[in-house]
Amino acid sequence: MPAVSGLIFNAAFAFYAVGLFHSIVAFFSKGKLSFRIAIYSEVLAFVLHTAFLVAIGIELDHFPLTNLREVLVFFAWTVTLCFLLSFWRYRSQMMGMFSLPLVTTLMLGTAWIKSTNPAPEMLRSSWVYLHITCLILAYGLFFLTFITSILYLAQQRRLKSKRFNLFYDRLPPLLTMDQTFQRSLIAGFCFMTLGLLAGVIWAEEQWAAGWHTDPKVISAFVTWLIYLGLIYLRLSAGWRGKKAAMGSLLGFLSVLFTFFGARLFFEGWHSFY
Amino acid sequence: MDLSQTGDDSDLVLVGLSHKTAPIEIREKVSIPEAHLEDVTQRLRESCALPESLILSTCNRVEVVAHSDRPEDSVHSITEFLHQHHSLKPSFLDSFLYRLHGPSAVRHVFRVAASLDSLVIGEAQILGQMKQAYQAARELGSLGRLERLVPQAFFVAKRVRRETQVGMSPVSISSVAVELAEQIFGRLKGKSAMLIGAGNMAELAAQNFRRSGVTTMLVANRTLETAQDLAVRLDGRAIPFDELGGHLVNTDVVLVSTGAPHYILMRKQMEKVLKQRKYRPLFLIDIAVPRNIDPACDDVENLFLYDIDDLQQVVEANMAERLENAREAEEIIDQEVEKFFRRRSSEQVGPMVRELIDLFEDVCLRDFSSLANGMTEQDQQRLEKHLRQSAHRLAHPLITEIKRVAAHDPDRLDEVELVRRAFDLKNE
Repeated sequence: MPAVSGLIFNAAFAFYAVGLFHSIVAFFSKGKLSFRIAIYSEVLAFVLHTAFLVAIGIELDHFPLTNLREVLVFFAWTVTLCFLLSFWRYRSQMMGMFSLPLVTTLMLGTAWIKSTNPAPEMLRSSWVYLHITCLILAYGLFFLTFITSILYLAQQRRLKSKRFNLFYDRLPPLLTMDQTFQRSLIAGFCFMTLGLLAGVIWAEEQWAAGWHTDPKVISAFVTWLIYLGLIYLRLSAGWRGKKAAMGSLLGFLSVLFTFFGARLFFEGWHSFY
Repeated sequence: MDLSQTGDDSDLVLVGLSHKTAPIEIREKVSIPEAHLEDVTQRLRESCALPESLILSTCNRVEVVAHSDRPEDSVHSITEFLHQHHSLKPSFLDSFLYRLHGPSAVRHVFRVAASLDSLVIGEAQILGQMKQAYQAARELGSLGRLERLVPQAFFVAKRVRRETQVGMSPVSISSVAVELAEQIFGRLKGKSAMLIGAGNMAELAAQNFRRSGVTTMLVANRTLETAQDLAVRLDGRAIPFDELGGHLVNTDVVLVSTGAPHYILMRKQMEKVLKQRKYRPLFLIDIAVPRNIDPACDDVENLFLYDIDDLQQVVEANMAERLENAREAEEIIDQEVEKFFRRRSSEQVGPMVRELIDLFEDVCLRDFSSLANGMTEQDQQRLEKHLRQSAHRLAHPLITEIKRVAAHDPDRLDEVELVRRAFDLKNE
């Protein structure tokens, strides 16, 4: 990683770490100052993170999505974007900070990934970039879906218990979580559909026959079906609370499996990383 | 700690009783109705020789604050006055009264204004009542030196409100209901509520919901006329009692308080309603005793049922939080009491300092006319300027020290008194 972008990356990581530390402090001490530091650090880290993606894109002269490391960095960026947007929209402290543990871990994790070979020339197509970008955006949104369904459940429990607990006092209103859940679910599904379509189009054009038996393709399709089912149940039967949380947990596990598992356990075309 | 031990014996005194020292039976005997306040203040001034006084009488406290030149005597005469005025046997009130002087009186006034001494800590009413008492005393011209203390207490109250969370969390049944609704729905604008029955507390809560932005308010009652009356008051719409079930699907908050001895909303029915709502959250508030909503409704998903005891529980939790926050407020009070006295003592040395400068100038300029005789006007001016400067240079270290002692070192005020005596300065 060349010097300038490396420096920006380290700075972004440092601010995520500061944000994470202060979000933990704010969580336990209820301190407004810590919360403010956490959010400002996260915003600053996000700006640096964006700058890093641009810088590395210029240095490499292509969209930085060609190896696992770049993909993870981009995924972390997407997650932060989703949560900052939901924080900005709903002013909910919890939502703004929930992404920090995951993002900090992802950023740290990428440091251990050895630079892998760049993707074969064949994969440098705009269809592939569209495919990866859309899917990663979808996964970021699905993570938000998952977290909001958990927060919904926690808030529901608290209101049912009729006991006021300082920990839960900072949860956003039930309906806010409900709306974020539905919006991120539907938006994520749209991006996923778009991403899969782009992949299918590219595969039909470029790939050898038999792409549909690739484990990652199958796993992604199963994930897509899970989310389709979840949207259907949500809109028709009003799935909320526990059912919605279980559904989005299943969906997100499936996302994780598609992202990591399919590559680890099976050999297939997607194992180029 | 103020100048009262030295040249000036005047002091603040406060005699009173409150919910902390006296039960309601006593407080109601002593309370002074607003209509009599003027009259009583007038009589207090005359019979106790207290030109500077203020009476604060609320349902939780009766207090007389005064600035007196003979504090000890004033405490006695105020106590006597209270007994006489209410035709009570002498010493009847003694065990209920607190008598405060100087700093502790100031602290008490600040704490009362900041609502830290209230029955419901942090309630906002007391500040308004104090402002009324202040206004009344002001119109009677009976404030005198209290003119400084009371507005300062208002300032302290504002500072406490601004810098601490005291008074933030709701501690009444109806405001807790609104707070809970906001935790469920976020902003209440665009939400709809329904009031079933005509209980007072339910109406109060409905009004609270209206103020918090609830858009539609339906009112149902066994007698349609009552519903219509209520609907007018709440700017809502009356619906026939038999049809209320049909409206539940589109209602977010339901307030129930009828005199019926049985359940009005049953579990089966609510299950159906929630299913029709596609399990969008529904908030039921049962303020009736005996209860009007089947407690089993609470098992329905996304239905939140709070009865009077549940609301009371939240009220108590919030009260506990207020007590926690009150500790921060006490620190602010400490700072402000200290500041008040520091400012007061520096102001008390103000006239003395001015007198001291004049005296030094007089001494230096005593021989000016004989010296200036035959000088040109320019030289005269230069000489006068020089003599004045000398006076100021002489006085400067002394004045700096007096001001410093007055502001920061009240224990050494007797040294200031030495200066006063040595230079034969008047008391202010």
